[in-house]
Amino acid sequence: MERILDVRNLRISFRTNNGTVKAVRDINLHLDKGETLAIVGESGSGKSVTAKAMLGILAPNSIIEGGEIIYDGRDLLKTTEEEFHDYRGNRISMIFQDPMSSLNPIMRIGKQLTEAMILNGKANQRTAKKELTSKTKLLKDAMLKAAADGKNITAEKANSMMAEFEQFSKKAITLSKEYNRAYNNAVECSDELALYLADIKKDEPKNIVSELKQTASKAMKVFSPYVVDESNSAYKAKAEAYKKIASSYRKVEQADELIAAMKDLKAELEQNIPKVAPDFFSMGYYLLKKGDVKLDTKNIEALNQTVEKFLEENFLGEFTKIVSVAMEYSSEKSLEAKKIAAEELKKALPTYEKEKLDKAECEHVASALTKVVDKSIDKLALRKDNLAYVFGSSLNSAIKTYFKGIPHNAKEEKRFARENEKYEKNVAKGKDVGKPVPALIVDLELAHTNMIRTVSGLYESYQKDIAASSKVDYDALAREMILHLYTQETKVVHKVTKGMAKHHAIELMEEVGIPEARKRYKQFPFEFSGGMRQRVVIAIALAANPDILICDEPTTALDVTIQSQILELINKLKEERQLSIIFITHDLGVVANMADRIAVMYAGKIVEYGNVDEIFYEPAHPYTWALLSSMPDLDTKEKLEAIPGTPPNMIHPPKGDAFAARNKYAMEIDFEEQPPMFEITPTHYAATWLLHPNAPKVEPPKIVTDRIERMKKLEVGGNE
Amino acid sequence: MNNKENQEVLLKVEHLKQYFKMGKGELKAVDDVSFDIKRGEVFGLVGESGCGKTTTGRSIIKLYDITGGNVWFKGDRIAAGTRDYEDKLKALKESGASSAEIAAVKKEMAAAKYDHKHADPKEVTQIQMIFQDPIASLNPRMTVREIIAEGLIIQGIRDKKFIDEKVYEVLEMVGLVREHAGRYPHEFSGGQRQRIGIARAIIMKPELIIADEPISALDVSIQAQVINLLNDLRSSMNLTIMFIAHDLSVVKYFSDRIGVMYFGKMVEMADSDELFAHPLHPYTKSLLSAIPLPDPHYEKKRKRIIYKPDEEHDYSKEGPEFREVKPGHFVYCNTEEFKKYQEEVNR
Repeated sequence: MERILDVRNLRISFRTNNGTVKAVRDINLHLDKGETLAIVGESGSGKSVTAKAMLGILAPNSIIEGGEIIYDGRDLLKTTEEEFHDYRGNRISMIFQDPMSSLNPIMRIGKQLTEAMILNGKANQRTAKKELTSKTKLLKDAMLKAAADGKNITAEKANSMMAEFEQFSKKAITLSKEYNRAYNNAVECSDELALYLADIKKDEPKNIVSELKQTASKAMKVFSPYVVDESNSAYKAKAEAYKKIASSYRKVEQADELIAAMKDLKAELEQNIPKVAPDFFSMGYYLLKKGDVKLDTKNIEALNQTVEKFLEENFLGEFTKIVSVAMEYSSEKSLEAKKIAAEELKKALPTYEKEKLDKAECEHVASALTKVVDKSIDKLALRKDNLAYVFGSSLNSAIKTYFKGIPHNAKEEKRFARENEKYEKNVAKGKDVGKPVPALIVDLELAHTNMIRTVSGLYESYQKDIAASSKVDYDALAREMILHLYTQETKVVHKVTKGMAKHHAIELMEEVGIPEARKRYKQFPFEFSGGMRQRVVIAIALAANPDILICDEPTTALDVTIQSQILELINKLKEERQLSIIFITHDLGVVANMADRIAVMYAGKIVEYGNVDEIFYEPAHPYTWALLSSMPDLDTKEKLEAIPGTPPNMIHPPKGDAFAARNKYAMEIDFEEQPPMFEITPTHYAATWLLHPNAPKVEPPKIVTDRIERMKKLEVGGNE
Repeated sequence: MNNKENQEVLLKVEHLKQYFKMGKGELKAVDDVSFDIKRGEVFGLVGESGCGKTTTGRSIIKLYDITGGNVWFKGDRIAAGTRDYEDKLKALKESGASSAEIAAVKKEMAAAKYDHKHADPKEVTQIQMIFQDPIASLNPRMTVREIIAEGLIIQGIRDKKFIDEKVYEVLEMVGLVREHAGRYPHEFSGGQRQRIGIARAIIMKPELIIADEPISALDVSIQAQVINLLNDLRSSMNLTIMFIAHDLSVVKYFSDRIGVMYFGKMVEMADSDELFAHPLHPYTKSLLSAIPLPDPHYEKKRKRIIYKPDEEHDYSKEGPEFREVKPGHFVYCNTEEFKKYQEEVNR
């Protein structure tokens, strides 16, 4: 499965008056395409902080101590605010707990929905333009170099084909622009007709007549060869009839006549709106080659077939070959560089593995390595090699963190010594004051392992790439590349207008199950019930078609019936849109329905990690047991096993396992040393010493085993 | 848990109506709700937000002046509303009834007013309430001692030593320690704050506690602590509890009997096992079908039943009322539905 988000060794803390609160302490997660990852834990366990870090919306007093959040070849933790605009909301979107506080109370719902679309439309145009120019240039360069290197193409051919490609895709875009304008006009016009049809009898004629006139003039503007043919006299007659009646509409008695005309026009219009969009990409080429011939636009499907065939035979077949050669060439070149880089990485590894590190040497080797690795990146590849792209920044930041710590930072050391002295004086006087905390505590060991992991991780990944290089299907990649270029080009010219945004917003509102979307579009948030409000928030989150949706306790403020509606909706949207979801909650009941995989968090650490069946049917960590046993289900009769005490104070996190103090299965080592992640199955991990081979065998609490027993029985019963 | 022999009715709510003025009209937050709570039992009240469960609790404890109906506690009427009498008077006057009849109704109304106004304060303090939000329900400027002792002081107790002893006693009962008495609410965690709320309620030696969503604002790991505490107190102090919540698994676990409310009406009431085994009213069914359980395989198969009042019921011919389908199992229905439900139960 394609991995789209990777969180590695993330550490975040917050500066407060009482000291530094360690909110997230070294967590590792990943998210695959189309799956739901649930993060479960109580408040203060760091689950929301993790999610906020992904969106770059952490509170200003937060300190990111280390780690990476890798998405789309970029470390989100090191992304500037400007660059984040391309990601936040657009690619990664979030639904918050309280729908009322995430909507603007004095702005109509419609405005809130379309605002982001219009703004995002502009941003999309910008990014697409950048991507297009860079990729075209890279592709051309690769072609020319391949030709010069004696591959199976000639420079002239490549140049002319690229030029042709650019030419006809431009043509295609002009065509599609025209089409879109007409199409949107037609859809808008039909929408407005539907709207006024419902309203006409309720309203005074004088209130509505100017709007009716506007619709009428819109109805006259829809002509285009592909939408409503200009020679379509039936439509023209109906539109004119409507216009006449609309402009003379003065009395309510005329309403029936008007409604009849509107219905007529609407039916005729809808009949003429094409169901299939023409394939402008192929059509552009067809028109370019054949001169501006008149196309038969009555049957768009047949037309599409003709032009697609023509393009494939005359151009695309050959062009794909050229592109594929270029891509293969570029990939080969990069592979050679990768081999060199792998060697270098291997050689550099001892420098970082040394017990005592030398700052100058580390930095010197890092900069040399970065250069080699940068060279080895195949810039033409459509899927970015995340590890290689962030290699330089990761390594440098790890080195920086390592040498920033107290043992290497004289200034901080002095300051801390002063504070400490003051503290001791106060203690001697008998005053009760808080122990000073150094502002920069750096876990040297962790920073060190981070360094080593960055280097060795890339080395391993390169080895894998080199091994897999012979199995790549370059033809398929080439087709993908051509399509990618064309999509970018359409994006460059795609301007989101107000009308389009409105149409899209109403579609979205219907998709998330808001009845009477047209009417609701004009209402204010307070006119919605809690469940409907949450639906609006979901619609806003989906407006930009994100890859990742983060749901931060989306149903905690809602009651049971509404909660299950919203959960069903999220599941449905996930299926339809292939969303990847990060679902944050404290309610294990909710998770069972939603998640594919679950991470249980406690005191800033992931204590158990596994897929949904493993967590519910074979839980391994005492905290998971406690969570499962502390809530009654419908068959619980015995006394609940409450977790004693409260979560630890994260200003001074406990030395050993953070859960040890509340854990009745705790052993001595739990108070001494933090347990590592033990592997139970390749997908199931838990951080508890109970899994150590030398640990005594412990059964989960009876309430949990009983429930699992019951659930399994129920399932057998269900299958019969 | 259920003490079957003890059938003493502790609290009796008759045709409770609580309307709020809203603009031109009235909001019928609670509309004609009747139920009994027997001594020693836990009565659960469930329903979606805005259905009137909290209003019912607050009306019982006289935080609102009720619009209509009566609340009886230990055989005494502690709250009464006059709306029913007013309606009756109006009808009588329109139909031209004799002055004797009118006078009789007027007398009843005066008695209701008198009872409502002069309810014995000692008796009313035996009903105590625990609130949902432990942060909002504790005064941040008062120490825990002041918060807990406030009720006693209002009752006229001045003996400082006695009050302190009492405060320490209840603090220990709810699992806190003496030293906590001098602190302020913000120094406590959510679970501890809720314990303070409980301590404040039990210092009055109440017989009935109205727990209004006492755990929904708490963390998962703390929720079980509070439920267990309430359960312990219930047996040690012989408490009767009215438990208002929207989490059905907890209500099922904790309550002996459950009432289901929907838009100000009680739609179904039964023993908790009976209600979950044979839900009759379509709203109850839809509510039960919405409970998420920590079981992935069950969850994958769970089908939610959607309640659409307009399609489910045809009340055009005959209006519904609260009827007993089976001993102890009441449903809000009309005659036609009543027959249908009886068949369903006896099957």
